[in-house]
Amino acid sequence: MNHILQVNNLQTAFKTDKGMQTVVHGISFHVDKGEIVGIVGESGCGKSVTSLSIMRLLHDTPGKITGGQVIYNDHDLLRLPESSMKGYRGKELAMIFQEPMTSLNPVLKIGKQLREPIQLHLKMSKADAAEHAVKVLESVGIPRAKDIMEEYPHQLSGGMRQRVMIAMAISCKPSLLIADEPTTALDVTIQAQILSLMKEIQKENDMGILMITHDLGVVAEVCNRVIVMYAGRVVEETTVELLFENPKHPYTKGLIASVPKIGSGSKRLHSIPGTVPSPTNMPTGCKFAPRCKDVMDFCHTEEPGLIEEDGHSCRCWLYQDQRQGAMTE
Amino acid sequence: MKDEVLIDIKDVKKHFPLSKKWFAEKKYVKAVDGVSFSIKKGETFGLVGESGCGKSTTGRLINGLIKADSGEIKFKGKNLANISEKDWKKYRKPMQMVFQDPYASLSPRLKVKDILSEPLKIHYPKMPNDEKKKLVTELMDKCGISEFHLEKYPHEFSGGQRQRIGIARSLILRPELIIADEPVSALDVSIQSQILNLMKDLQEEFGLTYLFISHDLSVVEHISDRVGVMYLGNLVEIARKRQIFEDPKHPYTQALLSSIPQPDPKKKRETIVLTGEIPSAANPPSGCKFHTRCPAAMEICRKIVPELKQLGREQYTACHLY
Ligand SMILES: Nc1ncnc2c1ncn2[C@@H]1O[C@H](COP(=O)(O)OP(=O)(O)O)[C@@H](O)[C@H]1O
Ligand SMILES: Nc1ncnc2c1ncn2[C@@H]1O[C@H](COP(=O)(O)OP(=O)(O)O)[C@@H](O)[C@H]1O
Ligand code: SF4
Ligand code: SF4
Ligand SMILES: [Mg+2]
Ligand SMILES: [Mg+2]
Repeated sequence: MNHILQVNNLQTAFKTDKGMQTVVHGISFHVDKGEIVGIVGESGCGKSVTSLSIMRLLHDTPGKITGGQVIYNDHDLLRLPESSMKGYRGKELAMIFQEPMTSLNPVLKIGKQLREPIQLHLKMSKADAAEHAVKVLESVGIPRAKDIMEEYPHQLSGGMRQRVMIAMAISCKPSLLIADEPTTALDVTIQAQILSLMKEIQKENDMGILMITHDLGVVAEVCNRVIVMYAGRVVEETTVELLFENPKHPYTKGLIASVPKIGSGSKRLHSIPGTVPSPTNMPTGCKFAPRCKDVMDFCHTEEPGLIEEDGHSCRCWLYQDQRQGAMTE
Repeated sequence: MKDEVLIDIKDVKKHFPLSKKWFAEKKYVKAVDGVSFSIKKGETFGLVGESGCGKSTTGRLINGLIKADSGEIKFKGKNLANISEKDWKKYRKPMQMVFQDPYASLSPRLKVKDILSEPLKIHYPKMPNDEKKKLVTELMDKCGISEFHLEKYPHEFSGGQRQRIGIARSLILRPELIIADEPVSALDVSIQSQILNLMKDLQEEFGLTYLFISHDLSVVEHISDRVGVMYLGNLVEIARKRQIFEDPKHPYTQALLSSIPQPDPKKKRETIVLTGEIPSAANPPSGCKFHTRCPAAMEICRKIVPELKQLGREQYTACHLY
């Protein structure tokens, strides 16, 4: 088995006025070596909370992991003391964000910010670490890498800052990179640069990447396997080819049909009625039922399980006998 | 009537002063740097380009929210460039705007029904209340907000519903032209498609003309009849939608088009990955402003500004290749 990451039944809740609200509801998936796995879904479905939970970066939020396992290299990261987790973060698992200033310190020179984790994790001298940092900056396509070491983040453009953040994330050769909407804030021509860069470094380092995005175009472009999330649950999981060729879940079908496609003219777009339910106002039964055009009576009362068939998992009563589903749940 | 020109702008410029320091050499952001196009009645003209290329400024110039430094902006044949503030009010009524973030443009303290009836109060002070109410209710219903929501405040709605309210408000005075500046950019795709469909339905019902501004070419393709592509303050290509997407001429249009990730893993497109950054509009490259990133750049491109040239029946491109 060469899963780099195995998430089992992860559950995360937020403290609110109305008590603890579970926003990530027992999700399970894995990422293999050399694989780019996408997590896709609309805003509020729990993608970022999932990634922050894996990295154990929830301390600045009212969020708390309330169950499950995050297995990396046979260790359950959720059981490690914070001091050992620090040894993993930035070295074995690294994360990049939509907003590069989430990981960059505005008052420190880029060189120092890059060098210090390298010294710490790769046990290099200051001079060697600086040299390594310049190499990494060059590898992500930054011109004048040596000069940029002496500059501050605000002196760079958005696209350049994104590259610096990627450089920082890959500087210690992590085996897993979690990228949360890494190109969402960028213009399309810059997005194309960053996506092609990510594919390149993934191949070079044989990393696993967990790519979190709301953009089905980005998914189709870079991912091998895809997890579709809705209301804190995995509702579908399969290869990228199968997902677009033969989507099963009515939510996935609706999402794919909603995207305006170049060259498809002006015909009416498919749209999904209604909006994503909020955690405080979750329907019983299937969470998608209020918006689903295939809804059946019992969808409103009973939630289907996630059932796998031929490498394609789906959480929908259309694909399972009601009793069988209820039993596996 | 089909070919009546509603908006006709010629060589419009807007340069914003960059530095307020009196001793510094005066520098300007050339936000809109000589833009010309026209929009026919009933059509949707899509304005597309990456952030900072001058799309919003163009929209605001047409709407009269800001004044052009030079050039001509004609609405139904009347030059709006030098009319008085008083006359502007009259011209602004048939021109309304829809913004990306409707929340920022809806007063948080007003109920939805008041947000919609306020423009009626200003422009038709003598209109009886029940008539106002009827107009508001009917329009909201057409925009997909039921009567029962009229007593609510903006914060009680989701992003998509707020955009419906923003659109309804823009229509209450029965304008002819809607300038929609990134109206679906903040919305999730399932909601985005609801709003795009709504805008098409309303266009048909009210015979509206749209200036549809967006950084997203797929959205622009979907909604537009003709498209203008902007780069650093200039239009580099104008054409019918089909021509732009099937046979783009300008190297920037080609790159932009190939950069959009398509939701189809089998379509292995050849992405033209442009090198380099978008230059600053305060210090744009000489000659063709795109020459620093253009894969086809030639010697002449660094020196001479290419003019928009007609290539096909309705296709214009500013590039020395043609
Ligand atoms: N800091 C926070 N405090 C309270 N609730 C939060 C916080 N962050 C996220 N949530 C809630 O968790 C749910 C999932 O959010 P998130 O993971 O950010 O969604 P996504 O990344 O898919 O858009 C949402 O309902 C959101 O309101
Ligand atoms: N009021 C203003 N003052 C100074 N500069 C401005 C102002 N409005 C816009 N700009 C600048 O003009 C350029 C074009 O901006 P804008 O029209 O908003 O572009 P877009 O809508 O295409 O993103 C940008 O460089 C922007 O920073
Ligand atoms: S379980 Fe029922 S409501 Fe849910 S997605 Fe399937 S058909 Fe639709
Ligand atoms: S004028 Fe030259 S630099 Fe500009 S787009 Fe054409 S070929 Fe490229
Ligand atoms: Mg998120
Ligand atoms: Mg804008």
